[in-house]
Amino acid sequence: MPEKRQMHLGQQLTRAGRWSRAGITSGPAALWLGIFLALPLAAILAISFLTRGEYGGVELPFTFDSYKRLAGFGELGFDSLYPVVLGRSLALGMATAVLCLAAALPLAFFIARLSEKYKGAALTLVVIPFWTNLLIRTYAWQILFSPNRWLTVAAHSLGIGTAGEALYPGTLAVLTGMVCDFLPFMVLPLYASVEKMDWTLAEAAADLGADRWRVFRHALLPQIWPGLGAGFILVFLPATGQFVIPDLLGGAKTAMLGNVIQQQFASSRDWPFGSAIAAVALLLVLVGLAIFQRKGSKHEVLP
Amino acid sequence: MRRPGWFLSAIAAGLYIFLYAPIVVIIVFSFNAARFGTVWEGFTTKWYGALLHDSAALSATKNTLLLALVSTGIATLLGSLLAFGLTRFDFPGRKIFDRVLYVPVFVPDIVLATSLLLFYSLVGSFIPALELGMTTMILGHVTFQISFVAIVVRARLAGLDPALEEAARDLGAGEWKTFLHVTLPLMLPGVLAGAMLAFTLSLDDFIVSFFTSGPGSTTLPILIYSSVKRGLTPDINALATLIILISVLATVSLTWLQKNKQDPHPKK
Amino acid sequence: MKINTPLLNRHFCAVVFSAFLFAGAAQAEKSTLNLFIWSEYIDPQIVSAFEKQFDCKVNIDLYEDVDSMLAKIQGGGAGLYDVVVPSDNLVPVMMKQNLLAPLRHENIPNLKNLGEKFVSPAYDSKNRFTVAYQWGTVGLLARKTAGQPLPDSWACIFDPAKSAGSFMLIDSVRDQVGAALKYQGHSVNSIIPSELKAARDLCIAAKSRSVGFDGSVGVKNKILAKTAQVGIVYSGEGVRAMVDDTNTTYIIPKEGSVIWVDNLAVLAKAPHRDLAEKFLNFILDARIGAQLSAYTQFATPNQAARAFIKPLDLENHAIYPLPEVTDRLEFLNDLGFKLRLYDEVWTQIKTR
Repeated sequence: MPEKRQMHLGQQLTRAGRWSRAGITSGPAALWLGIFLALPLAAILAISFLTRGEYGGVELPFTFDSYKRLAGFGELGFDSLYPVVLGRSLALGMATAVLCLAAALPLAFFIARLSEKYKGAALTLVVIPFWTNLLIRTYAWQILFSPNRWLTVAAHSLGIGTAGEALYPGTLAVLTGMVCDFLPFMVLPLYASVEKMDWTLAEAAADLGADRWRVFRHALLPQIWPGLGAGFILVFLPATGQFVIPDLLGGAKTAMLGNVIQQQFASSRDWPFGSAIAAVALLLVLVGLAIFQRKGSKHEVLP
Repeated sequence: MRRPGWFLSAIAAGLYIFLYAPIVVIIVFSFNAARFGTVWEGFTTKWYGALLHDSAALSATKNTLLLALVSTGIATLLGSLLAFGLTRFDFPGRKIFDRVLYVPVFVPDIVLATSLLLFYSLVGSFIPALELGMTTMILGHVTFQISFVAIVVRARLAGLDPALEEAARDLGAGEWKTFLHVTLPLMLPGVLAGAMLAFTLSLDDFIVSFFTSGPGSTTLPILIYSSVKRGLTPDINALATLIILISVLATVSLTWLQKNKQDPHPKK
Repeated sequence: MKINTPLLNRHFCAVVFSAFLFAGAAQAEKSTLNLFIWSEYIDPQIVSAFEKQFDCKVNIDLYEDVDSMLAKIQGGGAGLYDVVVPSDNLVPVMMKQNLLAPLRHENIPNLKNLGEKFVSPAYDSKNRFTVAYQWGTVGLLARKTAGQPLPDSWACIFDPAKSAGSFMLIDSVRDQVGAALKYQGHSVNSIIPSELKAARDLCIAAKSRSVGFDGSVGVKNKILAKTAQVGIVYSGEGVRAMVDDTNTTYIIPKEGSVIWVDNLAVLAKAPHRDLAEKFLNFILDARIGAQLSAYTQFATPNQAARAFIKPLDLENHAIYPLPEVTDRLEFLNDLGFKLRLYDEVWTQIKTR
């Protein structure tokens, strides 16, 4: 609607008028993001091509060494380690998103079907964990998964883990923590779609003899697609770049990209290598975001 | 519409238990007498008493609130203005900006944190004000908050009826007056929601704070993280319980407020 | 929604403004000392005694491994902290980067209290930059189980057949890799790729059977919490655990281990250099030195302090190891560029 935008507060603006107002309103934030987002990200990209000094810090010359090491060609010969970590991060992010989706679908439908009286309360119960500190909710799983707690004992009787030992650190604990932490991010947008859903379509489909799956697939799913997409991206991308959850629940057994980056900037003091991994993580996010924004422009995935 | 059946209700109940298990366990264990670890050794309230005399916890609380208040103030101002500009004026690059706005939302915290650390240490030698500490933490928090505020406010602005502003202009109000008396009150719920979100994000942030903190600027999340790392959690459980309680109270009262103050200008 | 907009705005501005003022006021208070130190490594009462005597405020930030301390100092912290506590192998690293301020000995008369071994050590001749703070060893903290002999070898970590129950590794590159090297009979300063590769593989295999990595304090607390049976700790944590829970004991493995000296140093760009030197002098006081070691349960380098230390502690071989044990202990060296090998090995261990 370009012609509508040229009207401002009911007044026709000249191009100069529009631009100066745009500068005054959007300018400060743009400048801020330019300095404290774009410049630092550019710095990390630049440093990823520099050489590590003898004791940390960075030095010339420009080199691709960090990326070579990331590809597997390190000081001690070829090792597929870092590609494996990349794959592991993506796989864990995807698994988290899929599990959250599997859990959020029934929950969203459940809340939507409640009577008005209970709906608000049921929704608030999902929002509360969303507003509660993630660090706290994550380390709570250390208590829940400690040895001899009934949850741990139950898991052991199912053949998971070693009897008498904690269920963390490990991949199972990381995945549990991730799903628990990110579930509200999936439920909320999904619920917004389910709530707005036109149920008569489902009834019509059922009347026409469609079975349950086909009703869901053809009458309901297209309607909740936007919420589903938003929830997916809100879970998948942050989960892939997580640091705290694998750090507290994975105990270096389930290291993800975030953990390797942290280690390079902390104990290893290898800025160029840390920057190279960060650059790859950033690229990953930008590509993911671009894909979703392209799909989203058809389905209005993001607000 | 059909009410949920028993099967769906059972699944939902299980999921609620799953969501609340960590929160409940923290609250329960904040009353555990054991000094080390996770074995139950009897009921006590001593950890709450200990918190009152814990100078580290008190100063971390002060730092956390200071950081959240200041950064939210700046981010709300900049983000709301940005949202207004993006919805109201067409300028070259606006479409790209619309998309770039999502980058801080999705860029992993650890990438933002380490890039800020690099930036500060490169620039810091020329600008002494950029020494690691409260200032650099505030700058970092505003950077990820702006986008969230802008997105929330923009959603509110997009749903406003332009006829109201046009009416004000027709009645002779100037541009500035129209903005102040018509547009601003209308976008205010969005601004408040954005500020709330920004405030919570700041309270929640661990990684950006951790990498950009300096001496004496430890925040609650940093304190909690390092205590968990050291395996020292009884007083941290008490602290976490208080934080949880405040979050629950805030959420419930906000929901209640929204319900009872019926909005005369809902989105669409 | 009825909100008086201008009022609300004014309110909000007031809050933000006063927050700024508040921040400024907090900084303008009395003089401060910024101390960057390991966790549980200084008696809070010593800190408050220092604050009282010199009418100042001590800001304490903590770290769990010494490499992370150096990372923070290199990443913009050089002008922020006054006193840091580098281990002996890190002192040359910090000296070569000009991160340390030379000590003005006339301000530290208590230097005379240092034991003879700690005067002019190999890593800092004539104590130009550092004074020893505490010293100790790396070893195993184990929980006694009825009917089972206590482990006496690194094998309980590295050999699944000789396991003594669930165990924790130490989140410190040189100490953890050093333990694996010692287990194989090599030097903790090995720079031979094949030895390091073997040590790496041992650590990775151990990790998959372990309860994870933690700093020494974290390992101690988790063993006290019965999360693990055995763990790698520093001697002080080992001895403190024995006090808290008599069912635990600290062991230096028979293959040998690491011995170290932690040092107080003032940063070159320290904002409060004078106060920092007063702090060093304060710590070197005989009675304070004794109080410190009573708290940390590490060994003191302070000869004069020994007169005030409980004889029981002085006779404790977990704190002050016997000469025949010391013969099997090795100091870590600064390895210069070769440290990259350790970084690569460590990243692989933590990431695999």
